[in-house]
Amino acid sequence: MKELSVKELARRVTHLAVSLFILLCVTFVIGRILPADPVGAIVGELADPTAYAAMRQKLGLDLPIYQQFLIYLNGLAHGDFGTAVLTGNPVSSDLAQAFPATFELATLAILISTFVGVPLGLTAALFRDTFIDKIARIVALVGHSIPVFWFGIVGLVIFYAGLNWVGGPGRVDVFYEGMVTPQTGLLLVDSLLQGETEIFWNAAGHIILPAVILAYAAMAYITRMTRSFTLEQLSQDYVIAARAKGVGPARTVIGHVLPNIAVQLITILAISYGGLLEGAVVTEIVFSWPGIGQYMTNALMIGDMNAVVAATIIIGFIFMFLNFLADIAYAIFDPRTREAAQ
Amino acid sequence: MKHFSRSLFVGVALCALTLAAPALRAATPADQLVIGTSLAQVLSLDPQQATEAKANEIMSNLYDRLVASTPDGKIVPQLAESWQVDDKGITFKLRDATFASGNPVTSKDVAYSLGRLLKLDQAAAANLKRVGYTKDNIDQLVKAVDDKTVRIDLSGEVTSELLLYRLAMVVASVVDSVEVQKHVANDDYGNAWLRTHSAGSGPFTLNRWTPNELVILDANKDYVSGAPKMRRVIVRHVPESQVERLMLERGDIDIASALTASDLATFDNKKGFEIQRVPTGGFYVLSMNAGNKYLSNPKVREAIAYGIDYKGIEKTIMGPYGRARTVPVPENFEYAIPSPDWHLDVAKAKELLAEAGFKDGFTVNLKTIAQTPRIDLATAIQASLAQIGIKVDIQQGNGSDIIAAHRARNFDLLIPQTGSYMPNVLGAMEQFASNPDNSLEANNAGNFVWRSAWDIPELTALTAKASLERDPKRRGELYVEMQKMFVDQKPAVLPMFERFEPIVLNDKVHGYVGHPNQTTRLEAVTKAETD
Repeated sequence: MKELSVKELARRVTHLAVSLFILLCVTFVIGRILPADPVGAIVGELADPTAYAAMRQKLGLDLPIYQQFLIYLNGLAHGDFGTAVLTGNPVSSDLAQAFPATFELATLAILISTFVGVPLGLTAALFRDTFIDKIARIVALVGHSIPVFWFGIVGLVIFYAGLNWVGGPGRVDVFYEGMVTPQTGLLLVDSLLQGETEIFWNAAGHIILPAVILAYAAMAYITRMTRSFTLEQLSQDYVIAARAKGVGPARTVIGHVLPNIAVQLITILAISYGGLLEGAVVTEIVFSWPGIGQYMTNALMIGDMNAVVAATIIIGFIFMFLNFLADIAYAIFDPRTREAAQ
Repeated sequence: MKHFSRSLFVGVALCALTLAAPALRAATPADQLVIGTSLAQVLSLDPQQATEAKANEIMSNLYDRLVASTPDGKIVPQLAESWQVDDKGITFKLRDATFASGNPVTSKDVAYSLGRLLKLDQAAAANLKRVGYTKDNIDQLVKAVDDKTVRIDLSGEVTSELLLYRLAMVVASVVDSVEVQKHVANDDYGNAWLRTHSAGSGPFTLNRWTPNELVILDANKDYVSGAPKMRRVIVRHVPESQVERLMLERGDIDIASALTASDLATFDNKKGFEIQRVPTGGFYVLSMNAGNKYLSNPKVREAIAYGIDYKGIEKTIMGPYGRARTVPVPENFEYAIPSPDWHLDVAKAKELLAEAGFKDGFTVNLKTIAQTPRIDLATAIQASLAQIGIKVDIQQGNGSDIIAAHRARNFDLLIPQTGSYMPNVLGAMEQFASNPDNSLEANNAGNFVWRSAWDIPELTALTAKASLERDPKRRGELYVEMQKMFVDQKPAVLPMFERFEPIVLNDKVHGYVGHPNQTTRLEAVTKAETD
């Protein structure tokens, strides 16, 4: 515990900050050298050169790139991500609007993948090389190799268009649009807070398919990793001893193995969660989900680099922050680290 | 990968749909119209700023103009009750309309709106600037005579008939000057506010616009011609064509546009749906950079014109999107001449290339937006030009980078698309036939012909002459002359296919008539069960 002192924490925070800064630099530079033309997008394809030049100047795109970067950093220091070309709003307010939709989707997805993936991995390990194990492995392999895009469309064809079990694209049926005032931005939460149970169920019907599809790839990874962590533990002396004493397989796993792989699992879950936020980009396009992924893709299409850079930074930050938390968790909870420290 | 996934998808989709054919059908409420489309290009809903087609469709329902044009091209009154044309200009009498805010529509609003268009000075202003209206002279040329009378003087570069067509465009929408002026910030004429709000007298008002998500229009119950039939119109952003198709099939949307050719094909003769093929008056064009050492040669351009399989492409690729046509005037327009004898003729094309001194052919790039049907069109052109010895490298990109390359004359071949703002030869042809200054310094990137570095002083002069000709018969003769001269010069902006916008409607929808200039009005649209 002592080793995870203020010093160690400071080192990790610095590391996080430096990584973020590098991400920022790279994204910014790529954004500015791309041949995309936000000015043309704003003033129109047939605008004449004076109007074009005026807008270019207004956006500060006529300055040398290092100056643009300094201006950007200065803004960032004041919490200003710049203005989005697409919406004319501050990027930060756009992101504040788009992020909850992604957050809601990814959180539901990580819950699904955890509650399915971990037990599946444990069971597969326990019944190694049996029928159950094979099924689990196939499920995991499929989830790992099929593109989300394809999965999403097939899901819609079957469960939405065909069977009519789930709602279609979007967060809610169109005629419910605009009936819930965003408070947290999470539609499931807001609709309940405002007593709109009908909208809650409608929204739940809409989120379930994209969440399951998004969860599937993560679940595959979680299952595989849980299985291999468990197998590693099963060959350890303490497990063999426990089983020799007559402890049943379920108790062995829940009472002995699970606590021992918990820290590794936390890391895996953190990584998966970050991955889900990224994976949302494709899912959101297929499901017309108005989250950060769709926002970023559209921004990229018209060369709206303020929006792209900010969205990248946010996703990057979350990804790195989750890793950071996982590392910390490791240091705090791993018994071996703890013993070494003592 | 995407293509692979798509073909796999089609198979699975067909199986699943066949199995689940009698499935339940949800439906949108009968008093709400839901349109599915791509809103990716909608960047503003300020009528004096936005020019994109989808934005036009929305704005034409939020605002009225002095006059409107019918889908078959007649000028009809909208805010103007009547008008008087004389040698110097047009005097409009306004009807007793009010804005959604409750303010009366006055001639001051008309003058303010036209002034605002030219002072904001973005692409939307181009059509009036092209005929001599500028931010400096607009306040002299447009005058409020009294509250209900407005006078627009001619600039000297346009006839009143042609001016009326320009006033029928969405850019000439009349905004509520009292309301807009309340929201001016940094001398922006209220632009920042009006991008996301509406201040019009049209049949609908803007309830909400969330970029890339949806637009909600509410009926304006006090609309001067009576409240619209629909309580709300919802335009939903559905970027994936296949997904849009499913939503239409299930009844979650009533009208779908921006579908790919293969998704459209599934609605052919399908019960419960109707396909409308809306003409645009515009074209899919092969732009050749005449600044390129090969393409500057008219013989090479002619060889290319003979190296494209128009009929084959029309049949296999364009389908509902286009019809072969190599003069930039739709065939059904008055005074349109027949297409020249350009068709796939490998021997003749090779002969022309040899005459030009390029017997062994050459290599050029072809830039295109990766979008249906342009991307397939590019591939077909690549294959057919290969037969005459021209090797084509296709470079695809998104809208902004391809347009940027076009503006910068940074391409060899490029496939843009055009539209027409009035249903006559001039409206369709103007952007193909006028390039006042071809020099690089002119940097006239807003001009379609300049972008191809195609120098056409005679044709430019003739186009200007036709815009000023008042005698209809003489104007018709000039129209014919313009088209012939265009063909003779072996165009560097080669129209290939007349462009249509196909849309699919659930047949419960009645009264929707797609407008060629994307100014489809929705106040008379109704929904009713037919089965």
